[in-house]
Amino acid sequence: MKPIESNLFTQGIGKVNQNIQQNNPVTASEVQESFANELKNAINSVNSTQQESNAQTNALINGEADDLHNVMISAEKASVTLQTATEIQNKAIEAYQKIMRMQL
Amino acid sequence: MSIFHGMNTSGSALTANRFKMDVVSSNLANANTTRAQMNEDGEFEPYRRKLVSQEPRDASFNSFLQKSMNRSSNPGTGVRVQSIEEDQSPFEQVYNPSHPDANEDGYVQMPNVDPLKEMLDLMSTSRSYEANVTALNASKGLLMKSLEIGR
Repeated sequence: MKPIESNLFTQGIGKVNQNIQQNNPVTASEVQESFANELKNAINSVNSTQQESNAQTNALINGEADDLHNVMISAEKASVTLQTATEIQNKAIEAYQKIMRMQL
Repeated sequence: MSIFHGMNTSGSALTANRFKMDVVSSNLANANTTRAQMNEDGEFEPYRRKLVSQEPRDASFNSFLQKSMNRSSNPGTGVRVQSIEEDQSPFEQVYNPSHPDANEDGYVQMPNVDPLKEMLDLMSTSRSYEANVTALNASKGLLMKSLEIGR
């Protein structure tokens, strides 16, 4: 599992740096598309941990789980990734609101 | 290496410790079993005490290659149970002529399970399980704390 936030930022910053070096400005649609893709990947990664946790919990209920601790660990992983995702979402919205409050 | 590396490592130790606990339970349950298996002569042999041997989980070609090239930045990927071995110490001879498995002299071969040793194993295994749960909670605590950066 990749850490979602580092993935998001390093790829985005890498793209911007690349464009600066090549002296061609980034178009708004490019940025939008790249950001949307990264966000989609990150959300999919969060979703997969949730599904894993769900599957483990179902196995526990059906009496198929071998170990209780593995169920708990997958639940913890899902919770940590979800909290990271909400934290990143808060940061993104905060940045957006700061820009929207800008006086022109 | 992902952010959940430490949790995975602790999780593997929890699995290994649970397995050890199961083996100790089996030893304790069979402390008086005189007919565990049949030997070549067609006679019953008592239960032999089982022991668990563990090995690091990263015993792969890649990890050895990295190690020999002095590029071992891998903190390890945990532990796994390698095999169950049988304790080869001799069986206990107990004088009990009324026992169905007693020989002509009235002696019975009892399993080489020592309940004292098993209790010791049980305690150390459960303490080790607790230690690994603490390590797991600590690595989760680090993750949760790092979410508070900049708040």
